[in-house]
Amino acid sequence: MEEQEFLPRIIGFLCNWCSYAGADLAGVSRLQMPPTLIPIRVMCSSRVDPLFILTALLRGADAVLVAGCHPGDCHYQYGNYYTRRRIALIKKVFDQLGLETDRLRLAWISASEGGRFRDVVTTFTQHIKEKGPNPIKKEIFL
Amino acid sequence: MKGKIIKNSDNINTKIREILESLISKQIFDAVFVPVRVPTGESFTYLLIKDKNILKDCIPLPPIMSVQGARAFKDLTRLGKLKYKILCVMRPCEIRAMIELSKLRQVTLEDVSFLSLDCPGVYQTADYIIEPEKYDKSFSSLLEKWEPEGLRPNCRVCNHFSNQEINSDLHIGFYDQSLILVPLTKKGEEIFTSLGFESTDDLADWENRKNELLRRREEIRNKTFTELHNQTNGMEGLENFFKGCINCHNCMRVCPICYCRQCFFESTDQLRRESEDYLIRTEKKGGIRFPVDRMLFHLGRMTHMSLSCVGCGVCEDGCPMDIPVGQIFNFIGDEVQKMFEYLPGRDKDEPIPVLTYKEDELHEYEDAQETK
Amino acid sequence: MKALKIAKSPDDAIKELLSSLFENQKIKGVFSLFYDQDYFYGLVTDKELFNKLTPTAPVMPANGGKMLSRLTMIEPPAVPIAVVLKPCELRAFYELSKLEQANLENLIFISFVCAGVLSLKEIKNNIEEKVANANQKQGLRECCQLCENFVPENADLILPLIDGDNKTTIFIKTERGEELLQGIENNLVEEDFDSAKLSSIKEERSRYREKTWQNLKTENLGIPGLIDIFGRCINCHACGRACPICYCNLCYFDSADNDSGPRVYEAELERRGALRAPSGTIFYHIGRMIHVSLSCVGCGMCSDVCPVSIPVGTIFTRVAEETQRLFNYVPGRNLEEKIPISTFEIKEFEELGEA
Ligand code: SF4
Ligand code: SF4
Ligand code: SF4
Ligand code: SF4
Ligand code: SF4
Repeated sequence: MEEQEFLPRIIGFLCNWCSYAGADLAGVSRLQMPPTLIPIRVMCSSRVDPLFILTALLRGADAVLVAGCHPGDCHYQYGNYYTRRRIALIKKVFDQLGLETDRLRLAWISASEGGRFRDVVTTFTQHIKEKGPNPIKKEIFL
Repeated sequence: MKGKIIKNSDNINTKIREILESLISKQIFDAVFVPVRVPTGESFTYLLIKDKNILKDCIPLPPIMSVQGARAFKDLTRLGKLKYKILCVMRPCEIRAMIELSKLRQVTLEDVSFLSLDCPGVYQTADYIIEPEKYDKSFSSLLEKWEPEGLRPNCRVCNHFSNQEINSDLHIGFYDQSLILVPLTKKGEEIFTSLGFESTDDLADWENRKNELLRRREEIRNKTFTELHNQTNGMEGLENFFKGCINCHNCMRVCPICYCRQCFFESTDQLRRESEDYLIRTEKKGGIRFPVDRMLFHLGRMTHMSLSCVGCGVCEDGCPMDIPVGQIFNFIGDEVQKMFEYLPGRDKDEPIPVLTYKEDELHEYEDAQETK
Repeated sequence: MKALKIAKSPDDAIKELLSSLFENQKIKGVFSLFYDQDYFYGLVTDKELFNKLTPTAPVMPANGGKMLSRLTMIEPPAVPIAVVLKPCELRAFYELSKLEQANLENLIFISFVCAGVLSLKEIKNNIEEKVANANQKQGLRECCQLCENFVPENADLILPLIDGDNKTTIFIKTERGEELLQGIENNLVEEDFDSAKLSSIKEERSRYREKTWQNLKTENLGIPGLIDIFGRCINCHACGRACPICYCNLCYFDSADNDSGPRVYEAELERRGALRAPSGTIFYHIGRMIHVSLSCVGCGMCSDVCPVSIPVGTIFTRVAEETQRLFNYVPGRNLEEKIPISTFEIKEFEELGEA
């Protein structure tokens, strides 16, 4: 086994209007955080097809973060409410199948919340580090 | 014919596995495409294996064909070749389906080589799943006796169970506690030599038995086809033959040749129709069944793919209602293939007959030309 | 509740009723299960063929709700059609109408208390005999043994099927049902739908359900457990094609969007040492669960058509029970209720985004 420290790979779906801008702000403000998040910009968190999340996790991502505007602030008015239902549904399905639900996280991060972005990435990374790598990575019979 | 006879008291799968392991060790191939048992043991699936530790679990000749190898391989190369030299270890009908799929541009054969195996036939998947141990046992005696009892109907009439007219590179036959290695192409020759073998052994015994088997198979085949012909004559015969079919299209979905992403019979045109359309049809006949067009599906599918049907019988295996669909497709396939002197999978450069033409042919199917 | 009594077996009673509706021009056709050499759903407009009706036979060659959606997908039929469906088929049809795959107009719905259907695997080789000797316990689909929704809710006319030999009561549940019978059947009686008789069946089903869930323990499966169940899946997608809720003409999992190119496979092979083919079976099943579980009616078609006998329907029913509970949703219960993921509430699941 590799003795190297385990650095999780987290796929982050960030909405264009809030969370992506929040991430940008964190970057511009040079806030320190672990280099674990692979950001993917989507126009709205509700653009995140449940199958995107599933694909990422089955292909071996250690975790998935879906981030969007705070409820009530969605650029498209209600997109993030749909997102929330979908995440609830996915987590329920995962839960019922004995799959780890805490490798998926939904967070509301506004464009001005660079600090919050850093906190979410840092705490999520810490949590996944404690859990260890996604066991699906090595599975053959998928 | 000359080749190499390897004495083997072990299970044949063990011996073939050794050969595969050595091909990977010697880096003749980067990966092997071969069946393995699923973790729960009651069925098999294909794996493309690069890691030698996983190769240890392969079962090159399983007693069932739960999935047609060509169909499985299509998944991996539909959008283009992988960067590996791959050896596909398959039964003859699977290799023939691979060749057909390559003509239909659904798999790529570049950097793919074939190792074909003598095939004694397979059991019905659904039966095997219930009692795997029982069928494992009878399968090993099958390899000695080559008796057709208990096999799937299509396997019982198969006349291409060995290296007969096949586009494979290397063949392994089984005879009298031995493996018979026969290179069939230049590529096969290279693989063969790299394993340290020379074509020095006389294979007459194996070939005689093969020919004797073939003679017996042809007898059963002719008899079966005559029966099928009588049974399915005319619309009434056909309707009766497909009695019980729930029109689920699973035969199409498991068939290696039926490659279309969306089958014509499930297309928007076919499935999204005005109710008026249905009502008009109903008025004419008094009633219609749903799903509609059961016969259209079967006959239509025949016109689409019977020239390439390799008679593998997977369709029948996948049918939830046990309709003898594999037998009729095999029989019709045989007829239309004879008409064009075509044999699917024989030669990758031989075009599928409906994708080509000759100016001077098939005049018996057209009105006589008027003399001027 | 108003009811009609006919001194005949349920199938014959339905035939008699439909014939008189037809003669009185109240309906122009019938959509139901028929038997003519084999069992099938059919649309019939010729009265001569009514004698082939066998609406309550314990057979489901396809989900009738799915079949009826084919007929009514683009437009409702121009003439009134009487439809006889099993409860789960009717619920599937209602879900399909919410999904804009079906029209309800011009259809009169008849349904009955369903004792379950025989599994196709059980009857495929000897269907007539097996149906004739059907015993209410043996050879039923597992999903039917688990089903707690065997009493139809949203039909115009319902038959309890517990009257005993040659006695059939047809309850009239809706105004539309009453209108339909006006001037045709004049000796209606007033009778209560005796659900007490049904409660023992329901209890038995619930017990079986509980026991099955106890044995299954899907919540402990994880990926290894899922592989134990779906490991032999051949990725034929027959389960989806047979499912009434999977209405997509081109399923995502068959589409080009779901194809992976060689670079993806290469990366996967390098990481894992081996690649399964057909690939993506577990992805398909979890994905399909996410797509259909809120509307899954537990009909069991998916299990029945699976060529490698995977108990797909049982697993889906289990997951569906939980996802439906999450949103307090019962598919097919109420046409006004939206499918949960096509709507939202401002205040809900607030623990999700804040953590
Ligand atoms: S039609 Fe049947 S026998 Fe012919 S190739 Fe397809 S699956 Fe095999
Ligand atoms: S022959 Fe079998 S698999 Fe094919 S459509 Fe009919 S019932 Fe389905
Ligand atoms: S998932 Fe299975 S049980 Fe559920 S509605 Fe679809 S076919 Fe019926
Ligand atoms: S699995 Fe999903 S995409 Fe496929 S048919 Fe069902 S609902 Fe549609
Ligand atoms: S029908 Fe069975 S084998 Fe086919 S995809 Fe569904 S679970 Fe897999």
